[in-house]
Amino acid sequence: MTETVLEKKVEEKWEPKIIAFLCNWCSYAGADLAGVSRIQYPPNIRIVRVPCSGRVNPYFIIKSLTDGWDGVVVSGCHPGDCHYISGNLVARRRFAILKELLEFFGIEPGRVNFMWASAAEGERFAVLIRKATKMVKELGPNTKFQKEW
Amino acid sequence: MEQKILKKEDIGKLYNEFSSEYKFYAPIKQKGNIVFERIENPDDIVLDYLNSRIPPKSILFPQMEVLFEYKLDDKDVEITDRQDLDEKFMIFGIRPCDAYSYELFANFFSFHGNWKDEIYLKKKENTTLIGIGCNTPRSTCFCTSVGGHPFNKENMDVFLTDLGETYLVEAISDKGKEIVKKLSWLSDAADKDVKKSEELAKKAEESFVTQIDVDTIVKNLEKSFDHPVWDEISEVCIGCGSCSYLCPTCTCFDVIDETDQYNNKGRRVRIWDTCQSCLYTLETSGHNPRDTKIQRCRNRIMHKFSYYPANYDLLGCVGCGRCIMVCPANNDLRDHLAKIEKIGKEEKEEKAVV
Amino acid sequence: MTIEAENKEIEASIRDVAKKMLSEKQVDVIIGYSQGTLPLSSTPIVIRNEEQVDNLIWDNLCYINLARYLAPLMPQLCDSEGNALKIGIVSKGCVGRAVNLLAAEKQIDLDKVKMIGFNCNGNVNRSKIAMEIGEKEILDVSITGNEIIVKGKDWEQNFPYSEYINELCKVCQVKIPSATEATCLGECQQLESINDEFADIDEFEAKSTEEKWDYIKKELEVCTLCYSCRQACPACYCNLCFVDQNKPIWFNKTTEYTDIFTFHLIRSMHLAGRCVACGACSSVCPVGIDLNFITRKLEKIVKTRFNYTSGLNAKTLPPMMNFKMEDAEEFMLEED
Repeated sequence: MTETVLEKKVEEKWEPKIIAFLCNWCSYAGADLAGVSRIQYPPNIRIVRVPCSGRVNPYFIIKSLTDGWDGVVVSGCHPGDCHYISGNLVARRRFAILKELLEFFGIEPGRVNFMWASAAEGERFAVLIRKATKMVKELGPNTKFQKEW
Repeated sequence: MEQKILKKEDIGKLYNEFSSEYKFYAPIKQKGNIVFERIENPDDIVLDYLNSRIPPKSILFPQMEVLFEYKLDDKDVEITDRQDLDEKFMIFGIRPCDAYSYELFANFFSFHGNWKDEIYLKKKENTTLIGIGCNTPRSTCFCTSVGGHPFNKENMDVFLTDLGETYLVEAISDKGKEIVKKLSWLSDAADKDVKKSEELAKKAEESFVTQIDVDTIVKNLEKSFDHPVWDEISEVCIGCGSCSYLCPTCTCFDVIDETDQYNNKGRRVRIWDTCQSCLYTLETSGHNPRDTKIQRCRNRIMHKFSYYPANYDLLGCVGCGRCIMVCPANNDLRDHLAKIEKIGKEEKEEKAVV
Repeated sequence: MTIEAENKEIEASIRDVAKKMLSEKQVDVIIGYSQGTLPLSSTPIVIRNEEQVDNLIWDNLCYINLARYLAPLMPQLCDSEGNALKIGIVSKGCVGRAVNLLAAEKQIDLDKVKMIGFNCNGNVNRSKIAMEIGEKEILDVSITGNEIIVKGKDWEQNFPYSEYINELCKVCQVKIPSATEATCLGECQQLESINDEFADIDEFEAKSTEEKWDYIKKELEVCTLCYSCRQACPACYCNLCFVDQNKPIWFNKTTEYTDIFTFHLIRSMHLAGRCVACGACSSVCPVGIDLNFITRKLEKIVKTRFNYTSGLNAKTLPPMMNFKMEDAEEFMLEED
């Protein structure tokens, strides 16, 4: 993106667009609980429901960044509580490698976040989303990785 | 043709003369390689080079090229064709082998006049070639074996010869004559300059280390499709495709559509493709006629030395030697051609013994 | 001992072992390196009988990872019924690692593959030398004593060997293949793990995000997406590479920087825990991109997180094929 577009976005009180991959059994239910309990959290996330955090292919995260999403959040069940026994354990190793590589290649740490949130943790879900949104907002729009033409 | 002299320090002056009207491309040094790039600063130009890593085909036929763009809104599709095809190109400092490769491109992109690729043909029409002769060909060059010459001026508009401190300038085509006329500040060449250029041409021609008997090879290939020589030739190939990416006559491309779904627009792009890729001949049914490395290696050599002569009566190789230099496994084309040349001889010897 | 003398010894030992293997019918074919037609190059070769053994060489220009020819297996290495032949493979340390990796991932059968191990003394950094020589034709490269002698038509230049080898060779810890005596003739060792501080990439990691992005952009910008690095890599044996998939198309193959970056990022991710640090990817790149520092980062990640180094034996699965309850999760987002 050119400098003027960036300035324009900041001027218009730019809000980040964050895509959130939530596992069906824990995190999605946790988000639902937060909503039912009327807990306020920023409206910047767009939720994609997946059966398990282990379903999340690192391609999803990278494709989101190249499509122009400013931030990515992936949330699953706590280790030991996975509905499919070990999906989140497999995912944890994947996310560790991905996060280290993204940082090494120069993508700002803070754009891509991973978390655990169970179905009963509505408040925790809201707190973590608030934190992630704040981090992405401070980083600014995702201009360098986005494919634009 | 009246010859002129261009002093080496006046290249900037030549650049200034044409850079506003033409997109000026010349060889520059980039990360230790010589590449043809658009020139911003004439001091970057390097003419004292052997040959560029990536051939100048990348100027008129770039690695990635947008064919058209489209916008969607509810029912209508609005297509925007390329708007920049009237822009003029000037390619400065191109070698005779690469200039000849454009002739072979013309065959591919208009296939006997039946299918015309407007984008490439329009760009070529608007291109002026100012070439330079090779005083010191590489040991891997073999243009003289395939009908070329280090001082071949036929495909150029203007031809330069490096005389040491100056360049001899010769206008070849009508376009070239116009160009030289514009450079009215060039001094006239003396007879000794012309004589020196002829001596340099002869010296370069005699310096070729690699000599290949192409006629025998073309003849042998007609009957060698199933010969076991292909097993040997393809044994250590790693199938990377570098040879075809860096070949000045390779023209294959893939067409992909990119969509920006959030903004309802898209574009169709063509990118270089290589017959060495295992997917090159993969059909929608799932069948792949060339699914082994042997078949793909065979295809490349036969395309250049057998199918091309059959279709266009021309050889599909210009002898630049880039494939030899870049091959990671050092799978030398010259060795392959030598093996193919021997095919007929073995059979003749067997017959003689009998 | 000088490099030149070491090379002679290594070459002699490779030929001896190769002769023994072929005469005792331990293997049907041997894959090794032979004299190239260009300076700064060597050509892999497949030999089938004892008379051809003298074609095998070792000369610090043998940068292709020969394990690449083992998977997928080409028809020339199979018998008439399509069964794999018994293959001997000249193995410097990293080739040995690759063979172990392929065996652990069940891509080859170690009963049919025997390594000819030796103590590798490194490979010359071709692109560094070519860059220093510039636009002059190199006609001959040889190693004399401890110097690399580069000759042209009427010029000569010397380079000190220890400075002009590949960056990966400089920090290599597995110079002899790590394998059992059943699978490796010649020299071999049995390593459980290696000691590596990764000091060479710490300096890079200390840079700011912007600096890292700019450095990597400068390196990768010239990439023409020819996929030579992928083809030369022994660990890249997928039938359908992710970038070739078109149902659906995940990532495009244009030469815009986003696509180039994405290809290298995802290929690195697929190699995490599997890369054997042979440096073939850098050596074969036609535009001279230095992919070695990415290789080092991959090794560092798996060593510090999972105390794992690829290719030290043929049994342990790479870390990405495994998981433990106690894995570290310090990178996860947590409440303050």
